[in-house]
This record gives sequence, C-alpha cells and structure tokens, in this order.
Amino acid sequence: MPRGLVGLVGANGAGKTTLFRLLLGLARPTEGAIEVCSRPVAADPVGVRSRLGYMPEHDCLPLDQSAADVVATFGELSGLPARPARQRASEVLDLVGLDEARFRPVGGFSTGMRQRVKLAQALVADPELALLDEPTAGLDPTGREEMLALVSRLSSFGISVLLATHLLDDVARVCDHVVMLDAGRLVVAGPTETLLHQTGKLTVEVNAGIGRLARSLMEHGLTVVSDGPFEVDGEAGALDVVVGADPGPVLDTIRDVLADLGLPLHRLSSRAASLDEAFVAAERGVEAWR
Amino acid sequence: MALNPSARGAVYDRGYRPYDGPRGGRWAATLALYKASVRRAIGLRRSWRQKFLPLALLAVVSIPAAVNVGIGYATRNSPLEGFSFFTYREYVGVSSALLLFVAVCAPDVVCPDRRQRVLPVIFARPLTGTDYVLAKLGAIFSLVFAFAVLPQVLLFVGQTLVSKDGSLHYIADHADIIWKVPLAVAALAAYYAALSLAVSSLTARRIVAGASIFGITIVSSVVAGILRHADALGGRGPLFNVLALPLVVRDLIFEGHVHESSPLAYVPGAGALGLVAYLLVLGLSVAVLLWRYRWAER
Repeated sequence: MPRGLVGLVGANGAGKTTLFRLLLGLARPTEGAIEVCSRPVAADPVGVRSRLGYMPEHDCLPLDQSAADVVATFGELSGLPARPARQRASEVLDLVGLDEARFRPVGGFSTGMRQRVKLAQALVADPELALLDEPTAGLDPTGREEMLALVSRLSSFGISVLLATHLLDDVARVCDHVVMLDAGRLVVAGPTETLLHQTGKLTVEVNAGIGRLARSLMEHGLTVVSDGPFEVDGEAGALDVVVGADPGPVLDTIRDVLADLGLPLHRLSSRAASLDEAFVAAERGVEAWR
Repeated sequence: MALNPSARGAVYDRGYRPYDGPRGGRWAATLALYKASVRRAIGLRRSWRQKFLPLALLAVVSIPAAVNVGIGYATRNSPLEGFSFFTYREYVGVSSALLLFVAVCAPDVVCPDRRQRVLPVIFARPLTGTDYVLAKLGAIFSLVFAFAVLPQVLLFVGQTLVSKDGSLHYIADHADIIWKVPLAVAALAAYYAALSLAVSSLTARRIVAGASIFGITIVSSVVAGILRHADALGGRGPLFNVLALPLVVRDLIFEGHVHESSPLAYVPGAGALGLVAYLLVLGLSVAVLLWRYRWAER
C-alpha cells in the first residue's frame, strides 16, 4: 500500500479488523507474509508495533482516569520516557481539541470526546502508520465532520493512515487510495480517483425546461437516462446523456439543442461513479468469478 | 488607522510536532505497565476512595508491630523486659488484612483491562503477553512485599531502638532476621501475587475475582481441615490448604524444618512436600496467567 491516507472499505464482517490484527502481529496469517513499515510482522511483531498507532472501533479506555493520564500512559507503553510522554499527551490532546477537558475522567466524556481520546492515544508516540478502525462510528454529523477533518490532516504530519470503515463517503472524502474487502477477499484496490471512474455519461443540468430538453435530445437520436419523466416543461432538473467513444458529436448536439431551445444551462459535466457504485460493481465481479 | 499587530488577536494552529526523542523497547513498555499498575493498585492519580483501603489495611497490619514496640518500651526496665507478643517468624504470616489487600489490589490491576476492553490497545504496543504478565506480577509482588515487610521493618527498628542492651547488640543478636524476613516475605508475596492474579485473570469483574480469591482460600482450608481430622493421606491433608503452603516455606527459611506449631509438623517429609506443593501452585498460577494472555504472544 502506498503512503498517505488509505481507506479500507468493506461491510461488517468483511475482515477489516482481522486485517488490523494481522498487521499488528496479534493474529497469524494462514498463508503469505506481511510487511509493515518495511518490517516483517512475523519476524519482528514488537518492532512493527513500536511504529504503529491503533485506534479500535470499540470502547478501549480506562474510564476512571483523566484523558491526560490515559494518553500519557499509552505513550509510555509505546516506549516514550515518562516526561516526554506527558508532554506529548498534552500536545496531542490539544491537537484533537481536548486541551481544556484533559484533566477530567474519561468516564464523563461524550462519545465524540472519547473518540478523540482514542485517536490521541493512537498518535501519542508519533507513529509511522495509524490504524483507525471506524473512527466516525457513533458520532453525530458535526462530530463526524471534525473527526474526518482531523484524519485528513494526519498525512501532512508524516503519519500514514489506514482508515477502516463501511462508510464509503468518508473514504471518498479523505483517502487517496481505497482497498475494498468482502468476506476476507480483496475486491478492488487503487487510487480513489481511479475508482471514481468515468461512466460514459454526461450530466446536463438546466434551470428550466428539463422536459423540452429531454424530448429534443431524444429526437436528435441521443440516449437520455433519467430517474423519472420530464412532463413539466418549466421545471429545473438534470439528466444523463450516454456518450460513445467519441463525445464530440454528442457535445455539439447538446450545445445546439440548448441554443435552439434557449434554455439556461446550469451544469454540463462528465458523470463520475460513486464509490458505492464501484463497490457494488466490483462485488458483482467477484460473485461472477466465484 | 493601523492596528497594533499584537492587538488584533490571532487564531493560530500550533500544528503537530513529530517526536524525535528516545524510544524504549519491550523493557521500557513493561516497566511502564508495571508502574501504571502499581499506581492504579494504590490509588495514585485516582480519587481518595481508591487510596483509602490500601493505606487503611497497611495501617491495620502495622498495629501489632507498634503495640509490640510500645510494650517493649514500657517494660524495658521491668521483670517483663523482653516480652513479645509474637516472633518475627510468626509476623510473616497470613492475616485477614493481607488477604483483603490481595483480593482488592490484584483484581483491580487486571480485571478492568479486560472489562473495559483496554487489552487490544495495550497489546498494540511493543510488548507481548509475557511482558504483560511480568509487569502485573511484578506490580502485585512489589505491593504485597511492601505491605508485608513494612510492619516488619517497623518492628525491627522499634525493637532495636527500645532494646535495653543497646541497638548494636540487638542487631547483632538478630542479624539473621535481616535476610530471613525479606526472603520469607518475598516467598509469600510471589505466591499471593501469582495466585491472586491467576484467579483475577479468569474474570472481567473485580468483585467476582475478589470473592473467588477468598473462596479458594476458605474452601481449601475447609478441605484440608476435613482431610486432617479424617486422618486421610497419612496426615498430609494440610497440604491442600493453599494458605498454609507459603508458611511451610517460611518455616523452612526461619527454622530449616516445619515448625512444631504447624499441622504438618510431624508428617514425614512435610517440608519437601510443602515446598513442592508451593512451587506447584506458583507454577500453575503463572501458567494460567500466560495462557490467558497467550493471544498477544508472538
């Protein structure tokens, strides 16, 4: 896997957490070998773990200790001397937005604050690679935005991230690369932008006259794809037009039709597939292969 | 009008500073876990409620030593001079306070790790299951050792100071105490640390672990008592009393043989049998601990 932010996507039970356990050297692969940060996990699991940060999906914090104590203790457990560990704990808690709450017991924290402490303990020893398992789980929309913003900053700090989630939208927003798993198998892997591939369609969005536009395009021999009929001429809306290998003539036709009808064009763009579509398509491929 | 830059105020991001200082390996991580466990057990960095019980129990076990020294001082010029409630050997024993201390501290250092699911985060650090067991054993061993040896130190220092013949004379007369007491207390601490942690590792609930530690000692005492009164196993029934085994080792350290007051006193080979049983319980307890944390072992 490349450096940077990598999304590990799969449904529940796909094997994301198991992969994390394998990377941490806490489970043995039935076959093959794993290298993490250029170190073989089987030969040097402790050395590998000294370079990793791990944020599990589930609750994992001692509830009767303050956030500062929890994070500093985990820093010491990662090999940092006591004083630097406390200093790092303070800095990392500041980074995740818990500077004022760090001396309060974790047991009194909200879900969002606990997620931040979990992230802080994963970062306290300045890992080369952070394994984040569902970091946005249980968060409200605001908390989710803030967590994703934090995660997206990590690569600029020199920390690579493997982000496990079943929320494809999270991955599409923050990850440079995507790895998709299904039932323990690799479904597809590659740069996020490659997976958000072109669909061979153009999206045309107008501020009015969507029905007239659809009829006219079809009269000119183009294939129009839409979610519903365009019966009200005055409506704004969008439709997809199928383009062949050469989009030039189609674009010319759309331009001419829009000009003839005098419709206000809002957007004309290539339509990219969503990660959901890529995941479903890849899963279908795996099913067919089976 | 130009604003003074310092008066504008600023929203600034202190950013992230990579850590380029020293990093320890397994030993440093194990030592850190040991220190964290000791702190936790005696309530440091926790509320006063967590500090109260260990300190109160330490005070309770120190009372006999203080009373003994006080009586020694009060009777130093009387016909009762030299009177003592108990010997150093007898003071290395199993008190209810010691059992309660063990039953409170041992579950407290391992059960929450399992109950609050902290173990996966601990084992994502550069340490193994064996390191975890070593750190926890070391922590409880240190605490039980301190708990049992501090009253002995109080007793020894006190008796030295109130001795009519002078401190140096008292120390010369009791020089063997200086190595016998720590050795016997270490044997006691190792035994109770391993046994109590092994029991605690089998459950995630502190109250269940604490009750189980008491339960094992009570049940084994009853079984041993029944076997003794039934005169079964050639009088070796007391060997089934888990409380009595470290006392056999203590007797061996102080006397070289099982003391006359022991229920095993007149059983042939009682010392060797007791030592074997002691080592068996100790080994079995450590094996249970290693087995319980084997999933992090690589």
